[in-house]
Amino acid sequence: MNLHQKAKPVYWQSLDELNNDLSALEAKHHEFKAGVTDEFDINEMSGISRRRFLAAMGASAAFALASCKNYVGKRKNGEIYTYNEHPVDVVIGRPNYYASTIRSRGGVRSALIKAREGRPVHITPNKAHPTDAFSLNSHYQAQIMGLYDPARLQTPQKSGSDTPWATADGEIIQALQAAASQNQQIAVMAPAVYSPTTAKALGDFKKQYPTTQIYAHALHAEATRIRAWEKSHGGNLPTIHWDKADVILALESDFLGVEAPVGAEYGFASRRDVMTDKTFNRLYVAEGNLTATGMKSDYRLRVRPDAQMEFVMALANALQTQGVSLPAGLAGKVSGFTLEAFAQQHGLSTMVLNHLVSDLARANGKSLIYAGQRASESLHILVNAINDALGANALYNAELAHVQQVPFATPQEVNGLIQDMASGKVAVLVHWNTNPVYELASLKYGDALAKVPVSVSFTTELNETAKASTYALPMHHDLESWGDAVSHAGVYTLQQPVIAPLHKSRQPEGVMLAWAQGDSAQYSEKLYYNYLKKAWQEGIYRQTNALVDFNGFWQSALHNGFVKVKAAGSVNPFKGNALSAIQADKSGSEYVLSLHYAYATLDGEFASSGWLQEIPHPVSKVVWDNYAAMSLGTAKALGVKTDDLVTVEVNGQSVTLPVLQQPGMAEKVIAVEIGYGRTVAGDIGSNVGVDVMPLLQLSSHDMWFAQANVAKASGSHHLVTTQNHHAFDVEIEQDLHYKRGIIHEANYLEYLQNPKVATMPTHPSVNITKVHEYEGIKWGMTIDANKCTGCNACVMACNIENNIPVVGPDQVDRGREMHWMRIDRYYSGTPEEPKVTQQVMLCQHCDNAPCEVVCPVNATNHSPDGLNQMAYNRCVGTRYCSNNCPYKVRRFNFFDYRDRFAAGRYHKELAQLVHNPEVTVRSRGVMEKCTFCVQRIMWARQEAIREKRNLKGTDVTVACQDVCPSQAISFGDSNDPNSDIAKQRKHATNYRVLQELNARPAVTYVATLRNTHEKV
Amino acid sequence: MQVADKSTLDGIPDYSVEPSVVLKSPSFHDITETIVKPIESPPSMKWLIALAISMALFSVEIIGWGVSFYYGTGMWGNNIPVAWAFPIVNFVFWVGIGHAGTLISAILFLFRQKWRNGIARFAEAMTIFAVMCAGLFPLFHTGRPWLPLYLMPYPNKHAVWVNFLSPLVWDVFAVSTYFTVSLFFWYTGLVPDFATLRDRTLGKDLISKVKKTAYSVLSLGWRFSNRHWRHYERVYLILAGLSTPLVLSVHTIVSFDFAVSGLPGWHTTIFPPYFVAGAIFSGFAMVVTVLVFIRYIFDMQHIITLDTLEKMNKIILLTGTLVGYAYGMEFFIAWYSGNLVEQFVFINRAFGPYAWAYWIMISCNVISPQMFWFRKLRRSVPIMFVASIFVNIGMWFERYVITVTSLTRDFLPSSWGWYNPTFTDFSLLFGSFGMFFTLTLLFVKFMPLVAIAELKSVTDQAKPTHHHGGDH
Repeated sequence: MNLHQKAKPVYWQSLDELNNDLSALEAKHHEFKAGVTDEFDINEMSGISRRRFLAAMGASAAFALASCKNYVGKRKNGEIYTYNEHPVDVVIGRPNYYASTIRSRGGVRSALIKAREGRPVHITPNKAHPTDAFSLNSHYQAQIMGLYDPARLQTPQKSGSDTPWATADGEIIQALQAAASQNQQIAVMAPAVYSPTTAKALGDFKKQYPTTQIYAHALHAEATRIRAWEKSHGGNLPTIHWDKADVILALESDFLGVEAPVGAEYGFASRRDVMTDKTFNRLYVAEGNLTATGMKSDYRLRVRPDAQMEFVMALANALQTQGVSLPAGLAGKVSGFTLEAFAQQHGLSTMVLNHLVSDLARANGKSLIYAGQRASESLHILVNAINDALGANALYNAELAHVQQVPFATPQEVNGLIQDMASGKVAVLVHWNTNPVYELASLKYGDALAKVPVSVSFTTELNETAKASTYALPMHHDLESWGDAVSHAGVYTLQQPVIAPLHKSRQPEGVMLAWAQGDSAQYSEKLYYNYLKKAWQEGIYRQTNALVDFNGFWQSALHNGFVKVKAAGSVNPFKGNALSAIQADKSGSEYVLSLHYAYATLDGEFASSGWLQEIPHPVSKVVWDNYAAMSLGTAKALGVKTDDLVTVEVNGQSVTLPVLQQPGMAEKVIAVEIGYGRTVAGDIGSNVGVDVMPLLQLSSHDMWFAQANVAKASGSHHLVTTQNHHAFDVEIEQDLHYKRGIIHEANYLEYLQNPKVATMPTHPSVNITKVHEYEGIKWGMTIDANKCTGCNACVMACNIENNIPVVGPDQVDRGREMHWMRIDRYYSGTPEEPKVTQQVMLCQHCDNAPCEVVCPVNATNHSPDGLNQMAYNRCVGTRYCSNNCPYKVRRFNFFDYRDRFAAGRYHKELAQLVHNPEVTVRSRGVMEKCTFCVQRIMWARQEAIREKRNLKGTDVTVACQDVCPSQAISFGDSNDPNSDIAKQRKHATNYRVLQELNARPAVTYVATLRNTHEKV
Repeated sequence: MQVADKSTLDGIPDYSVEPSVVLKSPSFHDITETIVKPIESPPSMKWLIALAISMALFSVEIIGWGVSFYYGTGMWGNNIPVAWAFPIVNFVFWVGIGHAGTLISAILFLFRQKWRNGIARFAEAMTIFAVMCAGLFPLFHTGRPWLPLYLMPYPNKHAVWVNFLSPLVWDVFAVSTYFTVSLFFWYTGLVPDFATLRDRTLGKDLISKVKKTAYSVLSLGWRFSNRHWRHYERVYLILAGLSTPLVLSVHTIVSFDFAVSGLPGWHTTIFPPYFVAGAIFSGFAMVVTVLVFIRYIFDMQHIITLDTLEKMNKIILLTGTLVGYAYGMEFFIAWYSGNLVEQFVFINRAFGPYAWAYWIMISCNVISPQMFWFRKLRRSVPIMFVASIFVNIGMWFERYVITVTSLTRDFLPSSWGWYNPTFTDFSLLFGSFGMFFTLTLLFVKFMPLVAIAELKSVTDQAKPTHHHGGDH
């Protein structure tokens, strides 16, 4: 992303800065000088800090633009601010990049924030970061809208009415002191805490109020895996060298999809690269639902989730016969399980199972079994035992181990808290950006909360918990906060604010430190900043033994966004006694309910993001909804079809959901995503889908329930999808993606013998006119189907970069979603065992573009460097171009969607600050489509001209390419023989979609290679 | 005269003689009286009711356009991939309707088909109104209908020219030329008749004075002089000559909107002749539908005779069969070309999710006109009325099938879609009929719906061989 970064790893804006003049650096990085205040008062503009000033400036400019008709009037009223004195580091029209950190409840990522005139507009990956360079998935990117969300909580509230901070603080401090003196419990509910300084602040708080208990709880987190590792090996959970694994067996794990552990997609994809000499890895997936990882697998076994234990037992037994020596405790337990019997019971292919066993056994320690985040502790321990036996310890990366600043609370601890709350033992309860009222609905958390006399919620947006708490306190957004994080051992990541607080929010650490001092007046924006800096000075700075003084160290850490310290680590041997508690249960044959993290909302945290709600589900392509997915056979047995309703009952709790007939699912499995049906999630996220949290039994560790009652319910609910799958039984519609040359596919082993096997012979193209030769740069893109996991990170980056509007489910249902990129999914084979292929589709920038010839007004035409361009203000909207586009990648503004969606939400003053000022916001009635990020090309060209050099293909990266976790997208100058894409174009696997039409697309694809033993 | 009676009355046609165009051998004066009667008599209750209904429908269209203009094209069912739907279907449908008028007045004129004289004026008027109905659709169909000027090649400071490669630009020229020439042709024919009306308007009241002024202006000072007639005949002949290629060119170019694109199901070389045949087919059917009523209401059975209608039905049979041939040929070529995508599109049309539309089209367009092989059915007014309505339903569905089914399922199965029309779509479709009938009703009330002078030229009286009965 960062254009400077390639040419100049360290950028500077003044000579002082270049020479490391500390005062200049200080000025650059938001220091609070004496007399400078962040409190905004129009009458006291002189003392305002730069950051606050920039915020006001950026906001006002945007407000003014939003209502040009009132422009003069507003200026008279003094509502527009111009630079009185030019800030040092802002050049109008030039973006600034700041390294910072973006958090979710279960994870944390270092990121580079792009700011224009003091206004953050884009969250991009921090490519220099040791672990997070390729892990900025769509949820972290979408946080930029969280900053400007009009639904943000703007002032403190007490029981629903606005309260000044001082009043709220005073009352809370009183309650805390009373609780401490009466020895009553004070509880803090926190999400996953990655910040050592936050943990320190919480510790200081606890010192002052010793009855404090801290509970870290997050649904979408690795809590179970960490606990299992502690039991089986002890020590910190290592990360995995995904790039070193030759054979991977994923058990109910969506590690290429919704789980996405840091680095997994990148590491996995690095072993699926035809441009390197590395051999392909082989992925086996055993799962009940069809997930993104399952779609990517070479072999897929349909196993109901409650049979996973039995399956692993049988697998261990089979491995034993192949010469794998199992730990002592295990050999005896598995003797009763055989793969043959299991295969028979579950209708699995013995051939595939034989391949699996021999591949795992013969991989010489390069094979790995990976259980999913949703699996039980027992399954994780069992898997750890087998991995140990397979010699997979070499694949563990102990140097980059997971570290916990506050250990996750066990289910028993959470249950205990709720009981204490219900019995009135908890006097004060502080929710730190968590939403347990929604997440722990099955444990009746909300009822227990009502018994707590004083409850507090730090939150950015009003949610169920904040609404039910006595005090709802607005906290800073990540882009307004100071902070740090240790995502992995030895990797210290810094968080710096990029904009001054937009509302009357505060830094929760600072607020709690002020509470600890018993005086709300102690709070200032500097409080936690100084605390953090001091903690770094005393902690990490000393560890690093840096040669520079602390200020230099701090500035460099802020600049890079992280400090890497060499962390020693080793994997302890497997502890045999961990296996003693393992139950060798047999799977049932009743309906099994399998709860999944939602691709769009994870555990509901992201429900209020319209962008995420509208991103199509990678498998079903459903938007704005959750549903009960089931196989076609199961649906038939229940007498239901897609859109019918079913009632699912587990442990006396029941929910009613719409059905989706999902190919590739195990029989009698009902898969449902959690994270929907939020009731307090702003005007976007409330009441989308069905809340299944009441079914989630935290105490049983895993997220599937073997004895579910499922029955047809009356009524129906229409599920909205962006892509329907064709009928499997209509011959003429089968395998069209192969027949039409859309997907080219081959077997990897065959490919090794004959690299051209994947690209089918096509008819020679005949041009009756001369083919245009491009001189100089010719932009092009290649997309590697072997690397792409369909994670949607590119779609999100494209949406944000190009100001693509959210249109809402009714418009998606009409076929009017505006996404410039989409990920097409094709099924072939049977509905039971489908072979799934995915393809990223975007404007192909055809040299013989069919759209260009039919446009009556020349609104779409070709640039000299090979772009298919759109002149929005020339477009009259005949839509002929879309009709003639064979790829159907053009999108039309049937309405002014910003005005139409959610009562003009994106026309509201705050929300429209999210728009990228470098890209036109399109009006109603014009056609739009992928531009190859022409604004970035123009920027790079302008820079090249300024620097008096020629523009190179490598000067430009496009938004989708930047964020792609598996680096499947390459962009550059196809005329440059040394460019990546020129090399890929020459490779035997490269092809163009619908080549026979001779549209000559500038986007080419690498054929899909499946690493199976058999030919495809 | 006896010959004519014989040929029509005893049921056994005598093909050795040409039947008279006008029956009952009316005098020139009778003809004038019959034709101007609706204009000179006060409006009847029937006419007022019909006008009220038509205007109500028309106002639905106006509201539909207003809503579309205000909120955007999103008020329709159009989507991606179905970017063209009802409005384009309606456009092609109405342009097609317009074809009958020009064919009857220009081509049949050049071929000296005298039977055309009874229906030419009305058919021409219908052309004008149908093209007006049609023209609204592409104009307001665009996403930004306030920018139609961009479709015109005019010099501008941006130095942006229209894209002459685009069939839509050809369309702009074709349709506007067609409308202009048709309007002139129609008006030229009206000039002598306006003069007749002017001369007959003798009242001293205000309405008569207004009428007289209007007709005086419209008749351009026509004095029925020999010199006027000479010029008139020349101009009429020239305009007929100019209009003749337009009959073929307009629908050819409309078909290019589809045929020039690369979309399977559109990208077909048979489209130009097939569209022209279809247009004449639907245009004639529309003329029959309306004339059946008019000749009855205005007592013009002897002017718009059953013979004329039968001839029209024969043309409907011919063009309907041509269209049927085209349907078959499309399938043959799809198979013969070996193009898998093309084959899929046609099989999908006939057996896919839109098969119902396809079979409505086949039964209305190919099967229903086949009954006109039988003379009895051809000459049965109720039968031809029903059949002509079927034909127009079929022809509307033909355009629907071509436009919508091809777009719903093209190259990439991932982007296949579906089309559901909205309330606004239907309001524009039905409203356009309101506009058409409103204009038609106003026309029959204020202008002679049969060309008086032309008709007189084909009566028995006008024949050189005519002898004035026993009394003269």
